[in-house]
Amino acid sequence: MSGPDAAPPLALSGVRYQYAGTSAWALDGIDLSVAAGHILGVVGPNDAGKSTLSLVASGLAPLAIGGRLEGSAALGGRETRELAAHEAAQRCGILFQNPSTQLSGTAHTVWEELAFGPRNVGLGLADIVERVEGSLAALRIESLASRDPARLSGGQAQLVALASVLALRPACLVLDEPTSQLDPEGTRLVGEAIRRLAGDLGSAVLVTEHKTALLARVADEAIVLQAGAVVARGPVREVLEDQALIELGVDPPPAVRLRRALRAGGVDARTEQRALDALAALDALATLDAPEAAG
Amino acid sequence: MRGWTGPLVVLAIVVATAAVTKIGRAMRPFVLATIPLIASILLVNTFFYPGAEDVLLRVGPFAATGTGLTEALQASLRVVAFALSVAVFSLTTPTDDLLVDLERRGVGRRGVFVIGSAIRTIPRMAERAGEIVEAQRARGLDTEGSALRRIRGILPLAGPMILGAVTDVEERTVALEARAFSAPARRTVIRPIPDSPAQRAVRWAAGLGAATLVALGIAGLVRLP
Amino acid sequence: MSVRIDLDGVAFTYPDGTEALAGVDLAIVPGERVAIVGQNGSGKSTLVRHVNGLLRPTRGRVLLDGADTAGRHVAELARTVGLVFQNPDRQLFAGTARAEVAFGPRNLGRRSADLATAVDRALAAVGLDGAASANPYDLGFSRRKLLALASILAMDTPVVILDEPTTGQDAGGVARVQSIVADLAAAGRTVVAISHDLRFVAETFERVVVMRAGRIVLDGSPADVFAAPNWEILASTYLEPPLVARLGHALGLRPTATEAALVDALRSGGEPAAAIRPTGFDPPVPSD
Repeated sequence: MSGPDAAPPLALSGVRYQYAGTSAWALDGIDLSVAAGHILGVVGPNDAGKSTLSLVASGLAPLAIGGRLEGSAALGGRETRELAAHEAAQRCGILFQNPSTQLSGTAHTVWEELAFGPRNVGLGLADIVERVEGSLAALRIESLASRDPARLSGGQAQLVALASVLALRPACLVLDEPTSQLDPEGTRLVGEAIRRLAGDLGSAVLVTEHKTALLARVADEAIVLQAGAVVARGPVREVLEDQALIELGVDPPPAVRLRRALRAGGVDARTEQRALDALAALDALATLDAPEAAG
Repeated sequence: MRGWTGPLVVLAIVVATAAVTKIGRAMRPFVLATIPLIASILLVNTFFYPGAEDVLLRVGPFAATGTGLTEALQASLRVVAFALSVAVFSLTTPTDDLLVDLERRGVGRRGVFVIGSAIRTIPRMAERAGEIVEAQRARGLDTEGSALRRIRGILPLAGPMILGAVTDVEERTVALEARAFSAPARRTVIRPIPDSPAQRAVRWAAGLGAATLVALGIAGLVRLP
Repeated sequence: MSVRIDLDGVAFTYPDGTEALAGVDLAIVPGERVAIVGQNGSGKSTLVRHVNGLLRPTRGRVLLDGADTAGRHVAELARTVGLVFQNPDRQLFAGTARAEVAFGPRNLGRRSADLATAVDRALAAVGLDGAASANPYDLGFSRRKLLALASILAMDTPVVILDEPTTGQDAGGVARVQSIVADLAAAGRTVVAISHDLRFVAETFERVVVMRAGRIVLDGSPADVFAAPNWEILASTYLEPPLVARLGHALGLRPTATEAALVDALRSGGEPAAAIRPTGFDPPVPSD
């Protein structure tokens, strides 16, 4: 299912969504699409609709939580409203902020935890073993296989939750502020895992984050959400360099802030250039003048 | 007067099982749990058994009777026998095996999940309760003062607990759906529980035997101890 | 108007045997702004819980203005030390934001007009004065966090401790927390914060304490702590020095930790730094 004409793993068109029992549109006209092996970052202030977007993209809204969906939300070409929740789960996985509520709480080992999803859909034992081992290897957490899921660090628990979702082999993954409750080490682990998802596994990934520096490192493109609508989109570097970002309630990455501070700092041109060059060397984020690296 | 044989037979079986499975020590809490009940049974029956005449000793206006004491001991023995049989069942049956088996026999995955996760929920809820208590104490809620002051703390302590539990359930439900929990297929068993013809035979025999005895007892043909 | 906090050789072991603090000496003078950083499990949360008495040291003493906290109820210490926890949902229980904020000061004995003033001021400080009658759970997560902060601000404690005040906050929320810290400091109150956000720490606090495995391994100003001689120690705690510090080092400048200071250093000639004074007073702990 991977020819150039195949439907993208995730495509939203004219999407509007209303939570059950409310009259306001939490999402008001969203168009986006994520291709296999690509990572789309979503930024925006709180209450802009980032979590809602995650729920709609994964199909959980409306399939698991109800509400009213208008427009087209398609996973691999199939509209989410025509799917059952368990079918959507196998097309698009989702990872939330809080590791502990996502773990089933019934597994004694990480291995069993990863088997939870495949067991639910009734796969044969051989397939289950393959899926579990595959997910462990994909995220490089084989060493955690026999650990108790309830006794892991935050970062490890998030990786286990991610691996459990991967075990259903979805083509698309939605990560909703996955590092928000993690310490710096945990954030680093998850950041690396995200890169591997797109790179090694060819997943289409949608990540919502406050940590714009993380997105700068892993995402290909980004959109800015405000009041349920997309107000900016483009290659991640362009979006994160946008002057309007701060007004929109988003904190640009430190490199962008530093660049601006240097340019506005009243430093002589030569020192400024020297500083900008050193900064560019330190950070993966290229300047707007530099040629775009492929990918 | 219901006799000694019933409870004594049960206790003999319990002791034999405990010896073989080496759970003797673990049964202590179950035994200890029966003490309050037994104490009250002994007290009430020994002193207040209606119609008993064979007085053993008098304490103030109260008289301890032999009949009462016998009845008390028999009743106590039943309580202990019952408690220890529960203990044997619970200590020799791993919960997970029980749940796997229940599911295999048709108890839905939801029922099994609720039971299985409830056990895990307890330490999590306890931890959460601890966090709530700390947060409210840091706001001046007095948990070390008089009982009256502590009662005022019920809402600030129970409120977040309940609200948190509800939110927790909502989040978990959504997370389960994301793991295809509601798929219609039969869930694959990954840990089959070994069974044998001998075990099956014992199960059938025990079940049939018990049913027969009860039927005979109701029909008046056998006096059940 | 604040108090001095002293931790003298404080060690703490949990009932299950985990040693969370291995002997900590820390002195915080009145009105200081201190950030505590380190990985989860390094003892940060355990440490701050000793200041308001939620935990009692297994060894050592905790003193507030020279007076031992031993034997004093948490409810009494709460007059002096306010502690805002990371998860607001572990404390919110009232029907309105106003009632929620009033809980703390009421426990401390404030009533009627005095109480109302404290509540209104606190709500205004966090920008929730317009939502005073709202149900806390109708507010989004980041506003609930600000509400929890308001509920401690209303208690007017000389010391305010914040546990991860910026997680889950967007740029506006972080800016709000920064201005609250600045206002508290301007009023002479001591502010202690636990945070993973090193940029927030560098910009908002005058002192950073780095913890690892129950001990303090670095203690100084952000510029000094994040300076190159300490990078190895920071790496041993899995902390990455902020970009500003790395850039300053690459340019050979004196240690700086904020953008403004860096630009300042560049403007004043960009000369190579004088010998950088290392501030870690413990030799690097061998990695486990």
